[in-house]
This record gives sequence, C-alpha cells and structure tokens, in this order.
Amino acid sequence: MNKTILAAATAALFALPLAARADDAALAARIEQLAAELEKLKAELQATKAAQAAAPAAVPAPAPVAAEPQGPATVLTGYGEINYNRPVHNSAGAQADARRVVLGFEHRFDPKTKVVAEFEWEHAVTSADDAGEAAVEQAYVEREFGHGIRAKAGLFLMPTGLLNTSHEPTAYYGVERNFVETAIIPTTWREAGFGLSGETEDGLTWDAGITTGFDLSKWDATSEEGRESPLGAIHQEGQLAKSRDLSVHGALNWRGVPGLLVGGSVFTGKAAHGTDNFPAQDARVTLWDMHARWTPGAWDLAALYARGSIGGIGDLNLTLAGNPTPVPSAFYGWYVQGAYHLPRSGDYALTPFARYERFNTAARYSAFPAGLEPQAGVLQNVSTVGANLRIGEGVVLKADYQKFGQDKNLDRLNLGAGFAF
Amino acid sequence: MIPRLSLILVSLLLCACGGGGAEPAATPAAPAVNQMSSAARLGAKIFADTSLSASGRQSCASCHDPAHGHAQSDSLAVQLGGPDGTTLGFRAAPSLRYLAGAGAFRFDKDGTAVGGFDRDGRAATLADQAKVPFLAPHEMANANPAEVIARLRQASYAAEFRGVFGDAIFDQPDQAYDRVAFALQQFQLEDPAFRPFDSKYDLFLAGKAQLNAQELRGMAMFNDPNKGNCAACHPSARGPNGAPPLFTDFSFDNLGVPRNFKIPATARADDFDLGLCGPDRTDLAARTDLCGAFKVPTLRNVATRKVFFHNGVFDNLTDVVTFYVTRDTDPARWYPRRADGSIDKFNDLPAAYRANVNTSEAPYNRQPGMAPALNPQEIADVVAFLGTLTDGYRP
Repeated sequence: MNKTILAAATAALFALPLAARADDAALAARIEQLAAELEKLKAELQATKAAQAAAPAAVPAPAPVAAEPQGPATVLTGYGEINYNRPVHNSAGAQADARRVVLGFEHRFDPKTKVVAEFEWEHAVTSADDAGEAAVEQAYVEREFGHGIRAKAGLFLMPTGLLNTSHEPTAYYGVERNFVETAIIPTTWREAGFGLSGETEDGLTWDAGITTGFDLSKWDATSEEGRESPLGAIHQEGQLAKSRDLSVHGALNWRGVPGLLVGGSVFTGKAAHGTDNFPAQDARVTLWDMHARWTPGAWDLAALYARGSIGGIGDLNLTLAGNPTPVPSAFYGWYVQGAYHLPRSGDYALTPFARYERFNTAARYSAFPAGLEPQAGVLQNVSTVGANLRIGEGVVLKADYQKFGQDKNLDRLNLGAGFAF
Repeated sequence: MIPRLSLILVSLLLCACGGGGAEPAATPAAPAVNQMSSAARLGAKIFADTSLSASGRQSCASCHDPAHGHAQSDSLAVQLGGPDGTTLGFRAAPSLRYLAGAGAFRFDKDGTAVGGFDRDGRAATLADQAKVPFLAPHEMANANPAEVIARLRQASYAAEFRGVFGDAIFDQPDQAYDRVAFALQQFQLEDPAFRPFDSKYDLFLAGKAQLNAQELRGMAMFNDPNKGNCAACHPSARGPNGAPPLFTDFSFDNLGVPRNFKIPATARADDFDLGLCGPDRTDLAARTDLCGAFKVPTLRNVATRKVFFHNGVFDNLTDVVTFYVTRDTDPARWYPRRADGSIDKFNDLPAAYRANVNTSEAPYNRQPGMAPALNPQEIADVVAFLGTLTDGYRP
C-alpha cells in the first residue's frame, strides 16, 4: 500500500501538466509542494512500518484498501488578468478590461486517473447585450499507463507553440499575449478528441492525437475577424463542433540539456465537413510551428516560428471576390524574446524583457482571376519592451510599451495585474 | 385623402396571373402543392382568385406574378386597381419572394430600424400584410372584411374553406377574414416557389456553376466597400450558419430617389411619401429623422423587375446603378432645376427632411465633380452580376 502511495506521489511528479513547463517559477513551486508531500509520505511510511513491527503476530493484517492519494483529491485552480491599454496617440481609446478570469479544478479519481476542467469568463460581463464570453476552456480526463505514457480524452489544449498550453498571466512576459501566438496560433486553442503523450529518459516528450478541427464554412468575408486571426475566425472550441472530418496533431519537445527546450508541432485536418452547398469540400487547414527556449543563468530567451495554410479554397474564394476578407492561403509569424531575471528582493522579482515579432495574417491569396486578386496582407512588426514584477509565486504586475511598425496610431502603453494558482 | 397602401395589383392584363409569357429562366420550380398544409393550399387559391376584388379582375397574383419573381409583370411605375381597375396606386409593387426572414419591425440594439412587411415595415406579419390590399381603395377595393368574405362564399373553393376552418366560419366575417390572411401567409411560407434559392449565383456559391468574367468583376464591385458597397445593405455572402444570402438586411435607408411624376399623387406639391414616418405608417410620425427611409429590398430577381425603388422612378437596372454612383457627383443628371437654376436635389422629400438622406457611405460619399465610385464598364459589370440572381437558373 505504502509503495503504492509513493508511486502515486512519484507519478504525480511526472504527471505535471505540460502547461507548467514554460513557467520555471511556477514549476519550482509545485515541485516544492510535491516534495513536501513526499517527505510527509515518507514519515507516514516510517510510522506505519513501526506500527506493524510492534503489532502482535496474531492480529490479522487489515484487508487491502484501495490506494488513496495523499493530499486533497480535488484541487481548485485559477488565473486571471486585468489589463489597461492606453494608445499613446489616442488617449480616448484607453481601456481597462477584466480580460479573463478562469476557475478550474483537477480531481484525481485514483493515482492514475484524473479530470481537469477550466471555465473562463472574458471581459467581465457576459450577457446578450455585453461583450463578455463564458467558455469551457478545458475539460478532459487523463489516464496514466506507466513508462511516462498518458492518454487523454475530452476538450484539451493543442500542444502548439510556447504559449497555448501555458497561457496563465504569470507564465509569459508582457501585459498582452504575443501577437504570433494569438493571430497565427489561436491561443487559447482547444479541440475535442483523444490524445496520447509520453516522454523518454533522454528528455524527449511527445504528443499525438486525433481531434475536431476548424470549420471553414464559418468564414465571414465581410468581417475583419479573419484578418485578425484566420484560425481564430473558424475555430470551433468544442461547441457543437462539426466533426465529419477529424484532424490530427503531433508535437515533439526536447529538454535533454538543462535549461533548454527545443520543439515543434504540426496540426492538419480538412475543414469543410461535408457542409451542404459549400464550394470548398477539400479545404484543409494546416498549422505548424518550431520553438525554442533557453534559460542560461538569469536569462530567459525564446524564439518561435509558426506558419499556417488553408488549401483547396479556390472555388470558395471566387465567391468572395471584392469582400474585405477573403480566405488567405498562407499566414505566418515569428518572434524572438529576451528576458533577464534581476536578483530577487524578498518576495519581489523583477524581470525586464524585450520582444520583437513579425507576422502576416494574409501572406498569400490564391485562385483569383486576373484583376480580382485581393491585396495581400501587410507583414506587420511589433516591438514590445517592459517588465514583469512577480510578487511571491502567484501574482504578477506588468508594464510594457508596444510600438507597431505599420501604424503608429496603435502604439500603446499597457499595464496589467495577473494571478495564477 | 385616399389611404395609401402597399400596392398590389391590378392590371387589366389578367392573363399575367396564369403565367402566360413567362421568361423561362425566371419560372420557378412547380410548388410542392401536395406537401403544403390545407390552409396553404387554400392560400394558393385565394392568391390567384380575381373574384375577391371589387373589379373582379384583380388578385394578389396580378401584381405579384409567380412568373415574374412574384412581382409586377408590366412596366407601370405603380399599378392600377380600384373598383373599375383604373385607379393608380402610390408605390411600386414589391416582390413577395424571400420575405419570410424579415420578422416584425423593430429597432435593434444600436437603434437601427429593421424588419416588418410592406415597404415601410408596418405590417408585423405576412398575414397582416395580406389583409391590406383587399381593402385598399386603389387595389382590390373591398369596402370591408365582410365584403371580402361575401365574395369568398361564392368561390369554387368555399366548401374547402369551410372544411378547413369550420362550417360556421362564414357566419363570422371578421374571423373568416383573419383565416384568409392566415391562409395567404401559410401559402407564402410553405410554397418553395417563394424562396427557391436556385439562381446561378446560388449554384456558384455551391461550386456547381461558374460566373463568367464580367459577372465576377461585377460581383467584386458589388462587394467592395470602396466601390459599389452594395453588399453593405444587400449581403451577398452566406450567413454564419451557412444560410444562403438574401441580398437584404431588412434595414431601412433613405436614398433620396427622384420624385416620380408618373404617380398622380405627386401632382400635389405637398404630397410626399415619407416611408417610415408616414403618411401610410402612423406610429413613427414623430420620428422625423426616419422620414424618407424605406425598407431595403432583396436583390434576388432584380433583373426581372420592370420598375425600381419605392416609387418606381427607374425602369432599368443600368439607370439604377448609375444613379447610386452619380447621385452626388452629377446630381443634375437626376434632379430638376429650380427657377433660379439650382438643382432641386432630393426633390421627393420636403426640404426639412433632405438632411436625412444617406450621404455618408460609399458610393454616396462624394461631391459634384468627383469621379463616381464606378465607371460605365464597372456599372455594366454590376448589372451583369445582378443578372445572376434570377431564380430558376438551368446550367
């Protein structure tokens, strides 16, 4: 039984969600917590052994009891961020927004089986007349099979990029999430389906799965939404998702050298789902990325490249000629980011950072007759400088300045407060 | 003054009701009559029954001819009706196709007027709308509902009407009149001929037909917010749930179309049809900011129409599209000059309401002397595209 308890604690260590990998501080806190629990288990084990040794031989052994994980079986989680944006050339556009508050739970049915769920409210007020939104961000069950292999089913985050599975405000630099991982990779991106993941002793982790995908019939060529984020405009988020065509994904991440993460992912799937009278029945969405993160000493360096394509859309785009937002056949973006952890001062840790990103949400259109080609999107660049101030392990205050290369009217000062637990 | 009503018909050319002379490309598929409810089947008979009019020569179908997209079949700006079929109306007869989605009139969250039936949206349902022409003096000209029902009792389908609505239904004329309107509504809702969605453009959206080069260019001009900007009020793209486009958002707009002196009422200088704010519609009389606004019609089958706009002032599509893009760049082309030589722009509105006219959006956002949003070739392209919206396309 006690071996089972230890195994459960050990398994729990290995079962740390990938979401924590990019947040060293949060990861360290959780390891410390689990280590404390492990010490507690060891003490209980010693006490149990001592009690058994002292017990009379004639006393029968207690009937086997199902293994009980130590500590609470159900854990409440949450994160949130309240942001302030002030365009420097248009103070009338200044806004404060309770961008999102997320509450969740993780419940272990047994040492190998758990359910994870997160519920999100965006923009403070959700009603028919307000801009807010309520959503189930994740809801999946996961089972561990040993040898580092886990399987999950339900609505879960795609293992893409650096931010999608690690999107808590304490986990990234800057008040707002970076543009590449919102406009190109539609963070927070989740799909419903099945997934497998595992890891090897040499630091390689892998993910693979089959899930729902995008619904191209949702494309609204009269809206700017598709130009802001092509995939964000057609994601389904597990809401009555069309599922005739399923998508597949895979990801590899290598952590063989301390402080280094190198990885990539790919997602592909058809996006028409047999929709009646839809002229792009063979449309396919593909998105891939490559990323790296290196944390030598006090430095935290990251880089990412992501590229998406939507193929088989010729006949569809013909029907959209002249509209502001036809379907792009290619979109991409990349960024580099550097941060430096200044020495902690008690509970306070200040980390200045800088990020430069370039992205184009409509890098190419295809299949338009001569004279009807829409103008390709602009390759945009955004520079961000600022700092995160950590207070303890769960609270962060942020400030940064963003300069937009193509439209200085968008230049803005951002302030934010965030938390995660 | 004779109350104004949304027109319906007349026409001394009753043969139009029978579908003679239909253009093959505009002929809708045969309605699935057997699949309609008994009320709808009755509605079909009422719709085509000329005996329900005072003249005995006018039915709903006279002005809403199935062979002409359920719109008028002649080129009169406004239709003839009345007891002897010689009274001209006030507004052009609209098509009855693709209306079901309008819903009752309302103001949406940002205050925009939307929906309703009739050109001023005053009828909340198709049934409400159906009641109007029976009693309009310039249309079917019955004195009251009882007179309509008295005529109906003599119809060949009177027994069927009793069978559906009760043996005693004719003893209660007002209730019977409600049933007449209900039957007409159900007919319009259930007969697929009112919404076949089988134009060339529909097939094109489905990937089953191709537009030619000119039609494609015209579509691009139609959609382009900086060119025709037509899709702003006449959406051409499928809805979020894949619903085919209706080419109307059921909103209201004030276009400042020229006064049509072919309408007898315009002989009085102070007689103006102001749409939402009256005089036919009475509940919004105080909303003077809405004076001159009429409901945006669907453009499906627009190429089969004989006259255009609420007052039927234009009789061809090229003039219509040209008016849109040159109204503000060359107003002298469309409006008369006053005695002092100035242009009487927006002359179908009282001076106090001319500021209500939409001048802020493309293609109106221009001044005299500026280049129109579309050149003559582009206008021709748009007209070619509009021709793809005609029901009954056969590749």
